[in-house]
Amino acid sequence: MYIRPIQRTDLDSLCLMAKHSGVGVTSLPDNRQKMAAKLDQALASFEKSLPLTERVYLFALVDESTEELAGICALESSIGHGDVWYNYHVGKSVHASREIGVHKITQTLYLSNDLTGCSEIATLFLMPNFRNNQNGHLLSRSRYLFLAEFPELFGDEIIAEMRGYSDEDGNSPFWESLGRHFFQMEFSDADYLTGLGNKVFIAELMPKFPIHVPMLTAEAQAVIGRVHPQTEPALAMLKSEGFEFNHYIDIFDGGPSVGTKIKNIRAVRESKTYQVGISDQTPAPDFGVKHGLLMVSNRQLGEYRVLLVDQGAAGDDTLWLKPAQAKILHVRAGDTVRAVSLRPKEL
Amino acid sequence: MLLVRPSTFSDLAGIERLLDDTDARVTTLPKERDKLSEKISESDDGFRGDTDGEGPSSFLFVLQDTDSNELYGTSGIDAEAGCGYPFFNYRLDEIVHASHHLNISSKVPVLFLSHELTGRTLLRSFTIDPALTKSDGFDLLSRARLMYIAANSDRFHQEVIAEIQGIFDEKGACPFWDAVGRKFFDMDFLTADYYCSMKSKTFMSELIPQHPVYVPLLPPEASATIGQNHPAANRTCQLLYREGFHRSKFIDPFDGGPVLKAQLRYTHTISNIRFKTARPSDVVGGMKYLISNQSNQDFRCVIGTLVDGIGDSIRISLDVADALNVQAGDDIAYSPL
Repeated sequence: MYIRPIQRTDLDSLCLMAKHSGVGVTSLPDNRQKMAAKLDQALASFEKSLPLTERVYLFALVDESTEELAGICALESSIGHGDVWYNYHVGKSVHASREIGVHKITQTLYLSNDLTGCSEIATLFLMPNFRNNQNGHLLSRSRYLFLAEFPELFGDEIIAEMRGYSDEDGNSPFWESLGRHFFQMEFSDADYLTGLGNKVFIAELMPKFPIHVPMLTAEAQAVIGRVHPQTEPALAMLKSEGFEFNHYIDIFDGGPSVGTKIKNIRAVRESKTYQVGISDQTPAPDFGVKHGLLMVSNRQLGEYRVLLVDQGAAGDDTLWLKPAQAKILHVRAGDTVRAVSLRPKEL
Repeated sequence: MLLVRPSTFSDLAGIERLLDDTDARVTTLPKERDKLSEKISESDDGFRGDTDGEGPSSFLFVLQDTDSNELYGTSGIDAEAGCGYPFFNYRLDEIVHASHHLNISSKVPVLFLSHELTGRTLLRSFTIDPALTKSDGFDLLSRARLMYIAANSDRFHQEVIAEIQGIFDEKGACPFWDAVGRKFFDMDFLTADYYCSMKSKTFMSELIPQHPVYVPLLPPEASATIGQNHPAANRTCQLLYREGFHRSKFIDPFDGGPVLKAQLRYTHTISNIRFKTARPSDVVGGMKYLISNQSNQDFRCVIGTLVDGIGDSIRISLDVADALNVQAGDDIAYSPL
């Protein structure tokens, strides 16, 4: 399995994935025209023909034996420029009176565009039949090698928005308590409209004044900053790389935003460059075990590739690749690659 | 004869008994003797026109039976709502949330914290013995305040307001309070109400949430009581409506009860008032009127009969003259009951 930039020929596979992803993955709308537009944007981004702030990098996880698309992931260079980026900032309010002995701390939600200009760890979707052999980790974490390689294409800070809590029937308590009163539509419909990039309606309908959290239902209050059960693993992965809750939440489902400085991401900090050596003797990776794997990128923008190798392949300055691996990475002996262990050491 | 006059310290016990007998909420009248006598003292200063530079005046009246000397009610005026501090209300307003593209348009009711009514003339502290609720005494006690204002109009703001108690049950549970204030004040309605009468209003500024409140976020039982008066205040409301008061966009920030508003000069009492000199007489007859003297410190108001006519003087009965402490040639005012 390897990572490469998305290609024009991937459109059918993308649309298939959008069908699979369903509600909650707003960045993958089930709409061929919109998907084609996203694809065009990604191609132009890799070609550097778009302004820096408009670039979105879409990557595909590909099965080299069949060339089948197993999953996709994305990086946005800078959010909130074309569309307006909305969050609620979760702030504290203290209501205190010495005279009558009251000191109460409450939360207040402030509609904000504070995260405008941050880079974003965006879409990720892995087809169900490929959810094994470290594929999810490779797909997600491969982006950090891209960030490490091309920091000039991104901002200082990067965030990821996590899908918020909803129950088995898809009901979001946060939406029911807040958004529904203003949008007069189902959560899934609002979510779909956002995915289509139709964000004007948010500005038109969203409450502009701060929201007193104690006035929301108990159920809604309980899920502020809480992720969907299916998103727990993704959150754990981001946290292991150094992302933390930044007190911004999604305005629809209350899901948390997590963020960090790009240079502080574990995989960015620990990644190193190596010279490529070619050898048949280099150990084959064992995808069955969590540890002992290295992500390796070829450091090229347009022909970007990442795959997993055994950590035994790394010497002090040289990384030994099998000929087949070198071929996938588009590298030869003497080229340089960037590598880092797939997972943080302590995990 | 029923008489309205300024309260004095000797009324303390009588007022306390009244407050014990009536379950109606009178936030501006504390039951504690110390606080109550403080109120009477402030009122005393007000009537003497002596405020010691300590801020705007407030006036407390009592309703007394001149035969038995028994007290039957209280009513009050604050020359400036808030008495020099911010006067808190929520203003009920509407924000339109519309998306042309999605064909959605809705008016969202929003409560904004407001001090706009600070400094208006405020009618308050109305308490009456339940036995007199359906009598002329009710009108006398309430409207005597307007007669007093008419006699001293330069001391009052032209706009007059009255806060009407909102919905709460026998146990003191108040749906509006539970949905709004309680979340920030951390106490039940009766406790908050108690503090309101006992403490300075500073704690209001400290605790009340500053941001607007979206009404749709409140539970339906709370939003349903916005601007609704307590059934016990029905008669008060009816009287004020007859006077020319109307519902405003403002509500009480604690219980959500309505604030009624009027322009003084257009109130029934003041627009129909006549000022003449008294001519005490044996002759009794005519229609019922509110009749008051024009004294500041020794203000008195009663209900009596007279026959209105042209001329600078007006005939009033001897016992009315006696109750008002007026003699022939003294200034009086009257307005139809």
